[in-house]
Amino acid sequence: MLQSSIALVIIILFIFRLAWQNYHRQVTRAEYSFWLSFWFVSAMLVLFIKDIDRLVAALGFSGSGIQILLYLAVALLFSQIFRLRLKMELMERNITKLTEDKAAIEFKKSNK
Amino acid sequence: MKTICVIAAYNDAQYIGRVVNDAKKLVDEVIVVNDGSSDETVRLAREAGALVATLAINRGQGSALRLGTRLALDRGAEIIIHFDGDGQFQAKDLPKFIQVLEAGQAEMVLGSRFIDHSTMMPATKKYLLMPLARFFNSLFGIQLTDPQSGFRAFSRASAAKLNWQQDRMAHCTEILHLAHSAGLVIVEVPITVIYHQYGQKLSGGLKIISDTLLAKLNK
Repeated sequence: MLQSSIALVIIILFIFRLAWQNYHRQVTRAEYSFWLSFWFVSAMLVLFIKDIDRLVAALGFSGSGIQILLYLAVALLFSQIFRLRLKMELMERNITKLTEDKAAIEFKKSNK
Repeated sequence: MKTICVIAAYNDAQYIGRVVNDAKKLVDEVIVVNDGSSDETVRLAREAGALVATLAINRGQGSALRLGTRLALDRGAEIIIHFDGDGQFQAKDLPKFIQVLEAGQAEMVLGSRFIDHSTMMPATKKYLLMPLARFFNSLFGIQLTDPQSGFRAFSRASAAKLNWQQDRMAHCTEILHLAHSAGLVIVEVPITVIYHQYGQKLSGGLKIISDTLLAKLNK
């Protein structure tokens, strides 16, 4: 109970900070929406942690709800890093294509 | 047959003049692709008589060779040879590649450092990295003595067929796999390499494997 209360206080502090940043236009609309949703979902998970414990047990996992959430968060982070790498790889390819095309045009101009 | 030697060069001012001078005596044209060098590579290559294309930023050897091959095809090359600008390959080996392609004995020729054993290779490279590279390639059915060789030549038709995507060092593996998949006749000829520096390390080999896998997932 104490842990949940501390977690909720921290989340509320972050939401206030986010609201302040939004008021001073330090975050974009999209960033504001994303972080607000993130903290809202986090607060819901903390509030309903007992229900999550029950759900996790019913599904046959031996860990507690919070452990399963942690595992899921780590898995999500890994998948996001991987997606980011794929996206970077694609961007690198596009940069190379542009650089090569520019070099080819200049080469043809100077070696007609 | 019109033969163009494509040289990828990155900060190779120390060697590029001699490399171009040696190569241009044995081929019709030399194209140096300057891969974003910050030294005198471009000026020295031009002075030595090469046609120079410049990538504004460093994109890697695979990209430089792809651009050079494309330019060579545009200039009507019937034989295209990939060569390094760091002075490790020897121009005296060029005629071996040309002879094999002119005789129609192959569609792609690879230089091998392991046929006549004239190359003094660092021991860890010879007894650890190269066997690993051979094993990795043999998993895909490629049986060559030197699958990581960057000294290679193509007929016009085969160069036009091989559209590699890897910008950096993994292009070597990719070119080989594309050639193998396309069913090209590949012949190896002996070459001598003089090492000025160690070159590809184990970490480089692992990077090649990870780049290759990443590219497969990005298709």
